[in-house]
Amino acid sequence: MAFHRSIRSRRSPKKISSAFELQLTSMMDVLVIIVVFLLKSYSTTINTFSTVPGLQMPISRSEDSPPESLQVIITPETVTFESEKILEFIQSASTLGTNEANYEFKKTDLDEGNRRIVPLYDALSKAKDKAEILRAKSKYRDAQGNPLPFEGVLAIQADKKVRYDTIRKVMYTAAAAGYKTFRFLALKTETY
Amino acid sequence: MLKRPSSRQRSANRSSKEAISLNLVPVLDTMVTLIGFLLFTSSFLSIVTVESTFPQASTKNIEEQLKETPLQLTLSLHDNDTEIWSPFDKIPSKTIPHTAPGQPDTKAIHDALIEIKKQFPSESKLVLVPIAGSNYDTMIAIMDASRNLEPSDPPIFTKNTQTGIDEAVKKLFPEIIFGNLLGDT
Repeated sequence: MAFHRSIRSRRSPKKISSAFELQLTSMMDVLVIIVVFLLKSYSTTINTFSTVPGLQMPISRSEDSPPESLQVIITPETVTFESEKILEFIQSASTLGTNEANYEFKKTDLDEGNRRIVPLYDALSKAKDKAEILRAKSKYRDAQGNPLPFEGVLAIQADKKVRYDTIRKVMYTAAAAGYKTFRFLALKTETY
Repeated sequence: MLKRPSSRQRSANRSSKEAISLNLVPVLDTMVTLIGFLLFTSSFLSIVTVESTFPQASTKNIEEQLKETPLQLTLSLHDNDTEIWSPFDKIPSKTIPHTAPGQPDTKAIHDALIEIKKQFPSESKLVLVPIAGSNYDTMIAIMDASRNLEPSDPPIFTKNTQTGIDEAVKKLFPEIIFGNLLGDT
């Protein structure tokens, strides 16, 4: 009987067929898990806020994601507005090279009883004027046909060690320049 | 000629195996592309916001507004404690000691504010008066404790003026105003 294999051939190991197929099922399982994880953590809202290296933001339980707006960043060394350095804090010998900071302004940077930060006020006023010009040119109008009013919203991103005294000066300056609403940015508490 | 039973079974198994073999390569391609896209576009840094407005003096309808004495709930941070009070004495003043120097007891503050919210369910404003030395972390923690209701908190209901139906309150005191922006303390 030609169809029956001999005992010797039955004992020899089977040869791998030339059309070898890779087992992809386990790889598919891994990929599906990764896709599900990424889709779960994927945020559909796009925000343009970026953080600065070395900035330690506080953690908040708030659920509100920030809409796009102008942004001031207060780090232990500097104050920046829209990625442009506005001023540097005075660095003392004791705080230099450490994470600690004293957030002291130069005397020339303050006026109105040390409440208003002059370079920041200038930058904020310039940004407001620019926004108003753009709104005047825009086709969007209110019910009376006037340009839409300036929203005056400012996002404040600060290191968690920044003192209220410094933030108060920033808020006072912003209010003087026409920004009446502040959005304090923080990192979201992860809840799984 | 009929095949032997063992042979018939073997051939049947072979045909069923061939029927269920799927070509997973295109699915794999899609998955890899999707993972690449999601990794490239997703942001793992989730930023949230806590909003506050600059206090504005309004002379409009001031007499009408002052017909009924407002609560004007105020939360003052001191060096060693936190005080919850009303300038118009609508509530008894409460002092909550800090858990550590410069660290307010946010849990106790939250619980105290819940009791006030039960008395004034339609009130949404809170005046926050931190000391100059308070840090940003403390400010955010206090604002969180004052604004948000936790799932474990007791439910608070308020009557909807339009429908007349009792509705559960979703936020504690969401409108936070800084009370000493013009001060020096």
